Amino acid sequence: LEGIIRHEFVFTQPPEEVWNYLTDPELLALWLMPNDFKPVVGHRFQFKARARLGLKFNGDIYCRVLEIIPFRKLVYSWQGGMSKENPSLDSIVMWTLTSSPGGGTILLLEHKGFRGMKNSLAWFTMNIGWAKIGRRLRNHINQKTL
Amino acid sequence: MTKQVLDVFQVIANPERRHMLQMLSKESLTINALARNFEMSRPAVSKHIKALNDAGFISIQDIGRERYCTLKQEGFIELQEWIEHFDNFWKSRLQKLQALLDSKAPKK
Repeated sequence: LEGIIRHEFVFTQPPEEVWNYLTDPELLALWLMPNDFKPVVGHRFQFKARARLGLKFNGDIYCRVLEIIPFRKLVYSWQGGMSKENPSLDSIVMWTLTSSPGGGTILLLEHKGFRGMKNSLAWFTMNIGWAKIGRRLRNHINQKTL
Repeated sequence: MTKQVLDVFQVIANPERRHMLQMLSKESLTINALARNFEMSRPAVSKHIKALNDAGFISIQDIGRERYCTLKQEGFIELQEWIEHFDNFWKSRLQKLQALLDSKAPKK
């Protein structure tokens, strides 16, 4: 249950090139969201996503750069909800880049540390006995961690 | 008196509230019966019950003089929806990145 959301993508491009798309605000905006990212530890920035009011999410994502190892690792916090002061979602986004044998890149995304979530998921699948939801969640998580 | 509605994450982050949910997973209980299991004031218990109710984890039913709490799925589904939302979000964005890189990949 360490990584709640986990995606691994393989690119034919080398890590340096993929890294640019993770750290250059203009390139980042091309595929992720408008942002004012800077590759500086401690830098606070925002992403602008589409609002999802059903999820009580107004679309503003507040982030802070936590760790940078050039071409290898990038970590930032990821908070959002209906207000900056009281975010429902308080989580961590971690990018890990590894060279693949053919000169490409294996890019691993982990979105984790959901506040209130880490301990609760395991707890409620085990204790509450909502078998259906529990099973769906477990399948969901196992898929991601295989 | 602060009026603040807690979201599902905040609600489930609290160990007392988790304990209440756990007890309610076995059977519906009156607020009084629930309160007997906790070393806290009745107002404190009521506050937790209210938070659980507001977030959709339980429903409260008045039967005679008693108020019964019953577990409800809504809150749990909302938790799952958050996760699923971002899971799908990342997947589609990463596919976009892949397409983007491939479209401009200089052949070596």
